[in-house]
Amino acid sequence: MNVPSVDSQTQESVDWPSDWLRATLGLLALRALAAGPSYGYAIISDLERNGFGTIKGGTLYPLLTRYESAGLLTTEWRAGDAGPGRKYFALTERGRAELARLSADWLRFTETSTRYLDHQRLTKETPA
Amino acid sequence: MMQRTSDKKWFDELVMELRMRQVHGSAIGDTIASARELLSDTGQDAEEAFGSARDYAAALDLPSAPRNDWIKKALWPSLLALLAFLVFNLAVVSWTRSEVLLVSPAQLALLATPVLLIALLPLYLEAVIRRIWVCVGISAICALAGLFSAFAAPTDRVDAWLALQPLPWLIGSTLAMVALSILNTIRSSRSRDDERITDPLSTAGKGNGPGAQVMIHVTNWLFPLLAAATLGLALVLR
Repeated sequence: MNVPSVDSQTQESVDWPSDWLRATLGLLALRALAAGPSYGYAIISDLERNGFGTIKGGTLYPLLTRYESAGLLTTEWRAGDAGPGRKYFALTERGRAELARLSADWLRFTETSTRYLDHQRLTKETPA
Repeated sequence: MMQRTSDKKWFDELVMELRMRQVHGSAIGDTIASARELLSDTGQDAEEAFGSARDYAAALDLPSAPRNDWIKKALWPSLLALLAFLVFNLAVVSWTRSEVLLVSPAQLALLATPVLLIALLPLYLEAVIRRIWVCVGISAICALAGLFSAFAAPTDRVDAWLALQPLPWLIGSTLAMVALSILNTIRSSRSRDDERITDPLSTAGKGNGPGAQVMIHVTNWLFPLLAAATLGLALVLR
Protein backbone atom coordinates (compact mmCIF):
# COMPACT_ATOMS: atom_id res chain seq x y z
CA MET A 1 0.00 0.00 0.00
CA ASN A 2 1.43 3.38 -1.04
CA VAL A 3 1.09 6.22 1.40
CA PRO A 4 0.49 9.55 -0.43
CA SER A 5 2.72 12.34 0.77
CA VAL A 6 1.17 14.27 3.60
CA ASP A 7 2.14 17.73 2.30
CA SER A 8 0.35 17.35 -1.03
CA GLN A 9 -3.06 16.69 0.48
CA THR A 10 -3.00 18.17 3.94
CA GLN A 11 -6.26 19.84 4.87
CA GLU A 12 -6.41 22.76 7.26
CA SER A 13 -4.55 21.35 10.23
CA VAL A 14 -5.28 22.73 13.66
CA ASP A 15 -3.93 21.91 17.10
CA TRP A 16 -7.18 20.43 18.31
CA PRO A 17 -7.68 20.24 22.07
CA SER A 18 -6.16 16.95 23.18
CA ASP A 19 -9.41 15.99 24.96
CA TRP A 20 -11.29 16.15 21.66
CA LEU A 21 -8.78 13.94 19.90
CA ARG A 22 -8.69 11.50 22.78
CA ALA A 23 -12.47 11.19 22.64
CA THR A 24 -12.71 10.74 18.87
CA LEU A 25 -9.50 8.92 17.92
CA GLY A 26 -11.13 5.49 18.26
CA LEU A 27 -13.87 6.39 15.79
CA LEU A 28 -11.35 8.03 13.45
CA ALA A 29 -9.03 5.00 13.53
CA LEU A 30 -11.95 2.70 12.67
CA ARG A 31 -12.87 5.06 9.81
CA ALA A 32 -9.28 4.96 8.52
CA LEU A 33 -9.68 1.20 8.15
CA ALA A 34 -13.08 1.33 6.44
CA ALA A 35 -11.53 1.24 2.95
CA GLY A 36 -9.52 -1.90 3.70
CA PRO A 37 -6.65 -3.30 5.78
CA SER A 38 -3.94 -0.79 6.67
CA TYR A 39 -0.87 -0.44 8.89
CA GLY A 40 0.26 1.97 11.60
CA TYR A 41 2.09 4.59 9.54
CA ALA A 42 -0.59 4.61 6.83
CA ILE A 43 -3.30 5.22 9.46
CA ILE A 44 -1.27 8.05 11.04
CA SER A 45 -0.64 9.61 7.60
CA ASP A 46 -4.31 9.35 6.66
CA LEU A 47 -5.39 11.13 9.84
CA GLU A 48 -2.70 13.81 9.36
CA ARG A 49 -3.72 14.36 5.74
CA ASN A 50 -7.29 14.89 6.84
CA GLY A 51 -6.43 17.62 9.32
CA PHE A 52 -6.20 15.81 12.65
CA GLY A 53 -2.51 16.53 13.23
CA THR A 54 0.22 13.95 13.85
CA ILE A 55 -0.96 11.09 16.04
CA LYS A 56 1.88 9.37 17.92
CA GLY A 57 2.44 5.64 17.82
CA GLY A 58 2.23 5.61 21.62
CA THR A 59 -1.37 6.83 21.30
CA LEU A 60 -2.51 4.84 18.26
CA TYR A 61 -1.13 1.36 18.96
CA PRO A 62 -2.64 0.91 22.45
CA LEU A 63 -6.01 1.89 20.97
CA LEU A 64 -5.67 -0.61 18.10
CA THR A 65 -4.56 -3.30 20.57
CA ARG A 66 -7.67 -2.67 22.70
CA TYR A 67 -9.88 -2.88 19.60
CA GLU A 68 -8.21 -6.13 18.59
CA SER A 69 -8.89 -7.57 22.06
CA ALA A 70 -12.51 -6.40 21.78
CA GLY A 71 -12.91 -8.22 18.43
CA LEU A 72 -13.33 -5.03 16.36
CA LEU A 73 -10.09 -5.63 14.44
CA THR A 74 -8.01 -8.52 13.20
CA THR A 75 -4.30 -8.31 12.50
CA GLU A 76 -2.03 -9.97 9.99
CA TRP A 77 1.73 -9.71 9.51
CA ARG A 78 2.90 -9.40 5.92
CA ALA A 79 6.53 -9.57 4.90
CA GLY A 80 7.95 -6.25 3.64
CA ASP A 81 9.74 -5.91 0.30
CA ALA A 82 12.80 -4.18 1.75
CA GLY A 83 12.28 -2.99 5.33
CA PRO A 84 10.66 -4.86 8.20
CA GLY A 85 7.35 -6.68 7.85
CA ARG A 86 4.11 -4.82 8.30
CA LYS A 87 1.30 -5.48 10.71
CA TYR A 88 -1.98 -4.91 8.89
CA PHE A 89 -5.14 -4.10 10.82
CA ALA A 90 -8.54 -4.91 9.30
CA LEU A 91 -12.10 -4.28 10.48
CA THR A 92 -14.15 -7.29 11.47
CA GLU A 93 -17.92 -7.38 10.91
CA ARG A 94 -18.29 -6.30 14.49
CA GLY A 95 -15.84 -3.45 13.87
CA ARG A 96 -17.85 -2.27 10.85
CA ALA A 97 -21.05 -2.35 12.90
CA GLU A 98 -19.32 -0.37 15.66
CA LEU A 99 -18.05 2.18 13.12
CA ALA A 100 -21.57 2.62 11.72
CA ARG A 101 -23.06 3.01 15.20
CA LEU A 102 -20.41 5.46 16.40
CA SER A 103 -20.57 7.50 13.16
CA ALA A 104 -24.37 7.87 13.47
CA ASP A 105 -24.06 8.80 17.16
CA TRP A 106 -21.31 11.31 16.36
CA LEU A 107 -23.40 13.00 13.64
CA ARG A 108 -26.34 13.32 16.04
CA PHE A 109 -24.03 14.72 18.71
CA THR A 110 -22.42 17.30 16.42
CA GLU A 111 -25.84 18.39 15.09
CA THR A 112 -27.10 18.85 18.61
CA SER A 113 -23.95 20.73 19.61
CA THR A 114 -24.07 22.96 16.52
CA ARG A 115 -27.73 23.77 17.11
CA TYR A 116 -26.99 24.64 20.72
CA LEU A 117 -24.02 26.79 19.77
CA ASP A 118 -25.93 28.54 16.99
CA HIS A 119 -24.92 32.20 17.02
CA GLN A 120 -28.37 33.71 16.33
CA ARG A 121 -29.98 31.59 19.01
CA LEU A 122 -27.22 32.63 21.40
CA THR A 123 -27.85 36.35 20.67
CA LYS A 124 -31.63 36.01 21.17
CA GLU A 125 -31.20 34.31 24.54
CA THR A 126 -28.61 36.76 25.87
CA PRO A 127 -30.26 39.03 28.47
CA ALA A 128 -30.22 42.74 27.61
CA MET B 1 17.82 -1.57 10.03
CA MET B 2 20.53 -0.14 12.26
CA GLN B 3 19.21 0.48 15.74
CA ARG B 4 20.18 3.65 17.64
CA THR B 5 21.78 3.12 21.06
CA SER B 6 18.96 5.07 22.74
CA ASP B 7 16.40 2.91 20.90
CA LYS B 8 18.15 -0.29 21.99
CA LYS B 9 17.92 0.86 25.62
CA TRP B 10 14.23 1.75 25.10
CA PHE B 11 13.47 -1.69 23.60
CA ASP B 12 15.36 -3.42 26.45
CA GLU B 13 13.27 -1.46 28.95
CA LEU B 14 10.08 -2.30 27.06
CA VAL B 15 10.86 -6.03 27.16
CA MET B 16 11.61 -5.79 30.90
CA GLU B 17 8.37 -3.89 31.58
CA LEU B 18 6.32 -6.40 29.58
CA ARG B 19 8.08 -9.32 31.31
CA MET B 20 7.24 -7.75 34.68
CA ARG B 21 3.62 -7.66 33.55
CA GLN B 22 3.82 -11.42 32.76
CA VAL B 23 3.02 -10.81 29.08
CA HIS B 24 3.47 -13.89 26.86
CA GLY B 25 6.60 -14.03 24.69
CA SER B 26 4.64 -14.04 21.41
CA ALA B 27 2.84 -10.81 22.39
CA ILE B 28 6.17 -9.20 23.34
CA GLY B 29 7.63 -10.18 19.94
CA ASP B 30 4.59 -8.70 18.18
CA THR B 31 4.86 -5.43 20.16
CA ILE B 32 8.57 -5.06 19.38
CA ALA B 33 8.09 -5.79 15.67
CA SER B 34 5.23 -3.31 15.27
CA ALA B 35 7.19 -0.60 17.13
CA ARG B 36 10.23 -1.21 14.88
CA GLU B 37 7.98 -1.05 11.81
CA LEU B 38 6.67 2.42 12.75
CA LEU B 39 10.14 3.74 13.66
CA SER B 40 11.43 2.53 10.30
CA ASP B 41 8.56 4.35 8.53
CA THR B 42 8.76 7.63 10.46
CA GLY B 43 12.48 7.84 11.28
CA GLN B 44 11.55 8.90 14.81
CA ASP B 45 13.30 7.92 18.06
CA ALA B 46 11.46 5.27 20.06
CA GLU B 47 10.97 7.66 23.01
CA GLU B 48 9.64 10.38 20.67
CA ALA B 49 7.15 8.05 18.96
CA PHE B 50 5.95 5.99 21.92
CA GLY B 51 6.85 7.92 25.08
CA SER B 52 8.58 6.12 27.95
CA ALA B 53 8.80 2.32 27.70
CA ARG B 54 7.12 2.00 31.10
CA ASP B 55 4.10 4.13 30.11
CA TYR B 56 3.80 2.45 26.71
CA ALA B 57 3.83 -1.04 28.27
CA ALA B 58 1.12 0.09 30.70
CA ALA B 59 -0.98 1.69 27.93
CA LEU B 60 -0.88 -1.46 25.77
CA ASP B 61 -2.46 -3.48 28.60
CA LEU B 62 -1.63 -6.76 26.82
CA PRO B 63 -3.10 -10.09 27.94
CA SER B 64 -0.88 -11.67 30.56
CA ALA B 65 -0.52 -14.62 32.88
CA PRO B 66 -2.11 -14.17 36.33
CA ARG B 67 -0.20 -11.48 38.24
CA ASN B 68 0.98 -13.75 41.06
CA ASP B 69 1.53 -16.87 38.96
CA TRP B 70 5.32 -16.57 39.31
CA ILE B 71 5.05 -16.80 43.13
CA LYS B 72 3.60 -20.31 42.86
CA LYS B 73 5.81 -21.37 39.94
CA ALA B 74 9.16 -19.79 40.85
CA LEU B 75 9.28 -18.22 44.29
CA TRP B 76 8.01 -21.06 46.49
CA PRO B 77 10.20 -23.77 44.86
CA SER B 78 13.24 -21.44 45.13
CA LEU B 79 12.46 -20.69 48.75
CA LEU B 80 12.11 -24.37 49.65
CA ALA B 81 15.33 -25.18 47.77
CA LEU B 82 17.19 -22.41 49.67
CA LEU B 83 15.84 -23.75 52.96
CA ALA B 84 16.97 -27.28 52.06
CA PHE B 85 20.41 -25.95 51.04
CA LEU B 86 20.82 -24.11 54.37
CA VAL B 87 19.88 -27.26 56.31
CA PHE B 88 22.32 -29.26 54.16
CA ASN B 89 25.10 -26.78 54.96
CA LEU B 90 24.37 -27.02 58.67
CA ALA B 91 24.44 -30.82 58.61
CA VAL B 92 27.30 -31.52 56.21
CA VAL B 93 30.19 -30.30 58.39
CA SER B 94 28.95 -32.21 61.47
CA TRP B 95 28.44 -35.34 59.37
CA THR B 96 31.92 -35.28 57.80
CA ARG B 97 33.43 -34.84 61.29
CA SER B 98 31.16 -37.56 62.75
CA GLU B 99 29.83 -35.03 65.27
CA VAL B 100 26.36 -34.18 66.55
CA LEU B 101 24.69 -31.23 64.79
CA LEU B 102 24.51 -28.37 67.31
CA VAL B 103 22.21 -25.41 66.66
CA SER B 104 21.83 -22.14 68.62
CA PRO B 105 18.85 -19.72 68.44
CA ALA B 106 21.09 -16.90 67.11
CA GLN B 107 22.34 -19.18 64.35
CA LEU B 108 18.78 -20.13 63.35
CA ALA B 109 17.70 -16.48 63.34
CA LEU B 110 20.62 -15.54 61.07
CA LEU B 111 19.88 -18.43 58.69
CA ALA B 112 16.20 -17.48 58.62
CA THR B 113 17.09 -13.95 57.41
CA PRO B 114 17.66 -14.80 53.71
CA VAL B 115 14.65 -17.13 53.74
CA LEU B 116 12.48 -14.33 55.10
CA LEU B 117 13.87 -11.76 52.64
CA ILE B 118 13.08 -14.05 49.69
CA ALA B 119 9.63 -14.91 51.08
CA LEU B 120 8.82 -11.18 51.17
CA LEU B 121 10.19 -10.58 47.65
CA PRO B 122 6.73 -10.00 46.06
CA LEU B 123 6.41 -6.89 48.26
CA TYR B 124 9.55 -5.24 46.89
CA LEU B 125 10.34 -7.02 43.61
CA GLU B 126 9.79 -3.87 41.49
CA ALA B 127 12.28 -1.95 43.66
CA VAL B 128 14.88 -4.75 43.24
CA ILE B 129 14.50 -4.69 39.44
CA ARG B 130 14.36 -0.90 39.01
CA ARG B 131 17.04 0.10 41.57
CA ILE B 132 20.33 -1.77 41.52
CA TRP B 133 21.28 -0.55 45.04
CA VAL B 134 18.24 -2.34 46.52
CA CYS B 135 19.37 -5.57 44.84
CA VAL B 136 22.96 -5.09 46.08
CA GLY B 137 21.73 -4.26 49.60
CA ILE B 138 19.50 -7.36 49.83
CA SER B 139 22.31 -9.59 48.51
CA ALA B 140 24.77 -8.09 51.04
CA ILE B 141 22.35 -8.71 53.94
CA CYS B 142 21.91 -12.35 52.87
CA ALA B 143 25.68 -12.86 52.52
CA LEU B 144 26.42 -11.25 55.91
CA ALA B 145 23.67 -13.29 57.61
CA GLY B 146 25.23 -16.47 56.21
CA LEU B 147 28.70 -15.40 57.32
CA PHE B 148 27.65 -14.45 60.86
CA SER B 149 25.66 -17.69 61.23
CA ALA B 150 28.98 -19.57 60.97
CA PHE B 151 30.37 -17.53 63.90
CA ALA B 152 27.16 -18.09 65.87
CA ALA B 153 27.46 -21.89 65.55
CA PRO B 154 27.82 -23.43 69.05
CA THR B 155 30.97 -25.43 69.74
CA ASP B 156 29.73 -26.99 72.95
CA ARG B 157 26.58 -29.03 73.57
CA VAL B 158 25.86 -26.80 76.63
CA ASP B 159 25.53 -23.68 74.39
CA ALA B 160 23.35 -25.49 71.86
CA TRP B 161 19.58 -25.17 71.68
CA LEU B 162 19.24 -28.32 69.59
CA ALA B 163 21.50 -31.37 69.30
CA LEU B 164 20.61 -33.54 66.29
CA GLN B 165 21.96 -36.48 64.31
CA PRO B 166 23.16 -34.88 61.03
CA LEU B 167 22.65 -37.82 58.62
CA PRO B 168 18.81 -37.77 58.42
CA TRP B 169 18.90 -33.99 57.85
CA LEU B 170 21.60 -34.40 55.22
CA ILE B 171 19.63 -37.07 53.32
CA GLY B 172 16.31 -35.21 53.70
CA SER B 173 17.69 -31.89 52.47
CA THR B 174 19.48 -33.58 49.54
CA LEU B 175 16.28 -35.35 48.45
CA ALA B 176 14.33 -32.09 48.74
CA MET B 177 16.87 -30.17 46.59
CA VAL B 178 16.97 -32.87 43.89
CA ALA B 179 13.15 -33.19 43.82
CA LEU B 180 12.73 -29.41 43.46
CA SER B 181 15.34 -29.28 40.69
CA ILE B 182 13.53 -32.02 38.76
CA LEU B 183 10.26 -30.12 39.24
CA ASN B 184 11.84 -26.86 38.00
CA THR B 185 13.34 -28.63 34.96
CA ILE B 186 9.95 -30.07 33.99
CA ARG B 187 8.24 -26.70 34.51
CA SER B 188 10.81 -24.70 32.54
CA SER B 189 10.62 -27.14 29.59
CA ARG B 190 6.82 -26.80 29.57
CA SER B 191 6.71 -23.02 29.88
CA ARG B 192 9.50 -22.34 27.37
CA ASP B 193 7.09 -21.72 24.46
CA ASP B 194 5.10 -19.15 26.46
CA GLU B 195 8.20 -17.26 27.56
CA ARG B 196 10.12 -17.25 24.27
CA ILE B 197 10.02 -13.92 22.42
CA THR B 198 9.02 -14.80 18.87
CA ASP B 199 9.26 -12.71 15.73
CA PRO B 200 5.74 -12.64 14.23
CA LEU B 201 7.18 -13.08 10.72
CA SER B 202 9.21 -16.18 11.51
CA THR B 203 8.67 -19.32 13.51
CA ALA B 204 12.10 -19.08 15.15
CA GLY B 205 12.25 -17.92 18.72
CA LYS B 206 14.77 -15.50 20.18
CA GLY B 207 16.71 -15.64 23.42
CA ASN B 208 16.85 -19.40 24.10
CA GLY B 209 19.97 -20.40 22.18
CA PRO B 210 22.34 -23.14 23.44
CA GLY B 211 23.93 -20.73 25.97
CA ALA B 212 20.53 -19.74 27.36
CA GLN B 213 19.50 -23.43 27.58
CA VAL B 214 22.63 -24.23 29.63
CA MET B 215 21.92 -21.25 31.91
CA ILE B 216 18.34 -22.46 32.50
CA HIS B 217 19.59 -25.93 33.49
CA VAL B 218 22.35 -24.51 35.72
CA THR B 219 19.75 -22.30 37.45
CA ASN B 220 17.39 -25.24 37.92
CA TRP B 221 20.16 -27.38 39.45
CA LEU B 222 22.00 -24.54 41.24
CA PHE B 223 21.40 -25.73 44.82
CA PRO B 224 22.31 -29.42 44.24
CA LEU B 225 25.47 -28.24 42.42
CA LEU B 226 26.39 -25.90 45.28
CA ALA B 227 25.62 -28.65 47.80
CA ALA B 228 27.91 -31.08 45.94
CA ALA B 229 30.68 -28.45 45.99
CA THR B 230 30.13 -27.85 49.73
CA LEU B 231 30.25 -31.60 50.42
CA GLY B 232 33.50 -31.92 48.46
CA LEU B 233 35.04 -28.99 50.33
CA ALA B 234 33.93 -30.37 53.71
CA LEU B 235 35.43 -33.80 52.89
CA VAL B 236 38.72 -32.22 51.81
CA LEU B 237 38.98 -29.96 54.88
CA ARG B 238 37.92 -32.42 57.58
